Amino acid sequence: MNVIDLDDVWRIYAEGAEPVYALQGVNLTIKPGEYAAIVGTSGSGKSTLMNIIGCLDRPSKGTYLLNGIDIKNRSDDELATIRNKTVGFVFQQFNLLGSMSALKNVMLPLVYAGIPGKERKMRAELALKEVGLENRMHHRPNELSGGQQQRVAIARAIVNRPSILLADEPTGALDSTTAGEIMDLFGRLVVEGMTVIIVTHDPETAGRSNRIIKVRDGKILEDIVMGKVS
Amino acid sequence: MNALELLSVAWQGILSNRLRSALTVLGILIGIASVITLLGIGQGAKEEAESQVQALGVNLIYIRPGSVGAGGISMGKGTAPTLTYDDALAIKENCKAVKEVAAQYSQSFQVQYGEKNTMTQINATEPAYTDIRNFFADRGRFFTDQEMADTARVCVIGDTVANDLIGEENPVGKQLLIRGELFDVIGVMEKKGMTQNMDMDDQIFIPLTTGYATLFGLNTISGKTVKNILAQSIDGEDWQAQFQITNLLRLRHNIQNPELDDFMVRTQMDIMQTAQSITGVFSLLLGATAGISLLVGGIGIMNIMLVSVTERTREIGVRKALGAKYGQILSQFVIEAVLISGCGGLLGICLGVSGSSFISNVADWPTVVTPSSIVLSAVVSVAIGLFFGIYPARKAAKLDPIVALRSE
Ligand SMILES: Nc1ncnc2c1ncn2[C@@H]1O[C@H](COP(=O)(O)OP(=O)(O)OP(=O)(O)O)[C@@H](O)[C@H]1O
Ligand SMILES: [Mg+2]
Repeated sequence: MNVIDLDDVWRIYAEGAEPVYALQGVNLTIKPGEYAAIVGTSGSGKSTLMNIIGCLDRPSKGTYLLNGIDIKNRSDDELATIRNKTVGFVFQQFNLLGSMSALKNVMLPLVYAGIPGKERKMRAELALKEVGLENRMHHRPNELSGGQQQRVAIARAIVNRPSILLADEPTGALDSTTAGEIMDLFGRLVVEGMTVIIVTHDPETAGRSNRIIKVRDGKILEDIVMGKVS
Repeated sequence: MNALELLSVAWQGILSNRLRSALTVLGILIGIASVITLLGIGQGAKEEAESQVQALGVNLIYIRPGSVGAGGISMGKGTAPTLTYDDALAIKENCKAVKEVAAQYSQSFQVQYGEKNTMTQINATEPAYTDIRNFFADRGRFFTDQEMADTARVCVIGDTVANDLIGEENPVGKQLLIRGELFDVIGVMEKKGMTQNMDMDDQIFIPLTTGYATLFGLNTISGKTVKNILAQSIDGEDWQAQFQITNLLRLRHNIQNPELDDFMVRTQMDIMQTAQSITGVFSLLLGATAGISLLVGGIGIMNIMLVSVTERTREIGVRKALGAKYGQILSQFVIEAVLISGCGGLLGICLGVSGSSFISNVADWPTVVTPSSIVLSAVVSVAIGLFFGIYPARKAAKLDPIVALRSE
């Protein structure tokens, strides 16, 4: 069975003077444990696609089955639970809460998952260790570098051990060494059985995935499945 | 996510903008403090008025001349000389529900003792006065029925008069001149203070008959008018007494139409009710004033919460993206509003209670803070947080995560 199954999905932004067709009939299926990279020019609809896959947004038209379940019939609160338990999201703009320490930020998904305080802290510390930030845990985001902030965002996305990890430009702000470490981490997560989808501009990063999905003007242009995970 | 965690998240929100939260708390604080203080003033006034009416006497019925015009508009009550000493005697004789009667005639005169002299109220009355008004002689004694009958030249002086005229010495046995007439001082009244805007201690009591014979210049027995008549009903029969007196006086004064009554009969209960309705209006006005300031405080909370929701749209988006449900965001902001208003309420109660006692002590105005007004304030402050917090909180909880995350 597919984890993700998009069938003729459209996303039309109708708020402005002219409607924007951000996604135009996307068909996409992704199997458990796949490691996919979405590439495309700026404004091509990558983030929009990620938002829909991550249940942050709903298609304007078409069906999206997540683990075989149609999103259309889910209430907002049910989608909140899916975002909390099933999907981990690394935002393009990190979206860390400035008033909290890195540790508190990473603990946030566990708070809404109803995990007790002690375990929450332990797991958050573990996640921060995985991204190599064990000695920056008590700093606030504005006391961290861009790359460190990004790693906090990744720790927050994986702390709840979701079955799907969505990362929008996860290595954009990182030097090649750190980027490499993050890619290694993603590789390990895929080996553990997590489905990982990333958006990237970097051909080297894309090359470490096992599938490249090229997007342009809200449509999938190319979908290349490669060998095993590097 | 349990209640304690919701509370701590809301508390973080409050701390994230301390100055603004503090100012909002201040708004509620002032509102609640003024509610407590003004209700305290109102309650104090009410109890003061009640105790003054109590101090008027025991089962008192107050009869005075005057008419109630058509439509209940009073016309010169207490001025027309229509009540006579004979009316008082007839009431004593005929009204079964009346235990005691004391007619009064009073006028101000020059009073002289040695070198000193003063102007004071001469209250010519009957011995029953002391029982009816519950006001007794402290040193010496009040005059007797015998002294009434003898038109004896005796007087009982109030505490103020005693201090002003005679000073340290014992006034009993001294003599003083009232409008040039010599009177023996046989007693000094106990100290009573102000009752119904009159200083009860600044007067001199003499027998009514003596007053007519020596001071007031009335000599035909039948024409003796009185300023008012005090009566005391038998316990629990005040309205029967009122009824009997009214009917008797109508009969004696030849009045068929009650609208043309040339007298008024009021029981202590009537007076109490008047006092209560006046202080009730007073309390209501004070309460309304305080209520308005509370309303302003509440609108302040709503305003701040709306600003806060707008400012923290991204935070809300992040929380929703990470799995916060509608109810969790809603509670976060409602609890924040309730915490602000609750803190304001708590501090306001403290300030209001100390403010009330300050007013009591410094301005010498009686204030009474009742436990019920404290409970009311506490409940109202929380309710304000709920009421004014719910709209902004709903606004936050309904935000679309995508829209919220994109906002700057
Ligand atoms: N809320 C919105 N309202 C209107 N138009 C929008 C909205 N969100 C996105 N768009 C439009 O949809 C298109 C796709 O945007 P999207 O963010 O998915 O691009 P992207 O591929 O992620 O680009 P980038 O690489 O720069 O992040 C763009 O043309 C954008 O202007
Ligand atoms: Mg994007």
